[in-house]
Amino acid sequence: MLDIDFLDLRELLHNHHILLCFNGPISRSLIEEIGLALKNYLDAEHTHPGAAMDVFGAYVEMTQNIRHYAIRKGYGESESAATILVASDGQGGYLIQAGNVIEAEDAAPLLERIAHLAAMDSVELKRAYKEQLRRPITPGASSGAGLGLIDIARKSRCPLSATQRPLGGGKAFFSLRAIL
Amino acid sequence: MNASFTLPGTQTTPTITADWDLGLLQMSGDSYPENSFDFFTSTLDWVESYLRQENRPLRLELRLVYMNTSSVKVMMDIFDLLEEAHREGRDVGVDWFFDSRNERVELLAEEFREDCTFPFRISAET
Repeated sequence: MLDIDFLDLRELLHNHHILLCFNGPISRSLIEEIGLALKNYLDAEHTHPGAAMDVFGAYVEMTQNIRHYAIRKGYGESESAATILVASDGQGGYLIQAGNVIEAEDAAPLLERIAHLAAMDSVELKRAYKEQLRRPITPGASSGAGLGLIDIARKSRCPLSATQRPLGGGKAFFSLRAIL
Repeated sequence: MNASFTLPGTQTTPTITADWDLGLLQMSGDSYPENSFDFFTSTLDWVESYLRQENRPLRLELRLVYMNTSSVKVMMDIFDLLEEAHREGRDVGVDWFFDSRNERVELLAEEFREDCTFPFRISAET
């Protein structure tokens, strides 16, 4: 049986200022519950209300994007899992990272889109946001407004970064990292 | 739909009160439902019906705080209905109140206002 040294694990989480770490299937209600825990942590850390709202917002957009993607692809429970991490740098900065399984062919366009956003300055991001806001959406489609990534990029203090690793079977593991 | 309605708020959805007789739509709280388009359908329909059936003024009183991007998108659709009515000479307006400790909400409201020409007041509440 697996035998993890729990003190080591605790120290790992502690030393990296990890506020929250989750891996597994995510439901709508679980996103809400973890979100509530995150809000409470941020509150307990006396994070400025505006900054706390940005961190919370990045968490919501990332996790809802993962949910929308899984629903759109008709994924079962194990595929609609997510890995989520929120860490503090102890100086008012936060790292939010989320990963999920995607179709291998979706990886390249997604990374390209993120690289495109990462290269934009705040004026260009605002323009891209407003353009997307004006784009009609398909009624009834289980998707967001296509604004989530732009919104996270606008709130981030560093350019977004993303990675993908092939998993075989036509799937890949995608992860997105934002620093706020 | 030409009736008043109230939707009690939840963790992820705002409290919404639509008063047909007063011509007043109030929304307060956080808004981040997973499917904002479904959630706001009744509110969007109410605004559309009110503007079509009545000639009286319409006021929106908002105390929204955090909004996910799909809620932002729907809110823009609501403001577009008001904008259209305003261009036809209707008396419509928005009052957005925010907690003075959270300037992000003020910025959010200001970005909406940039796309509107009807009266849109943003005020701090302590």
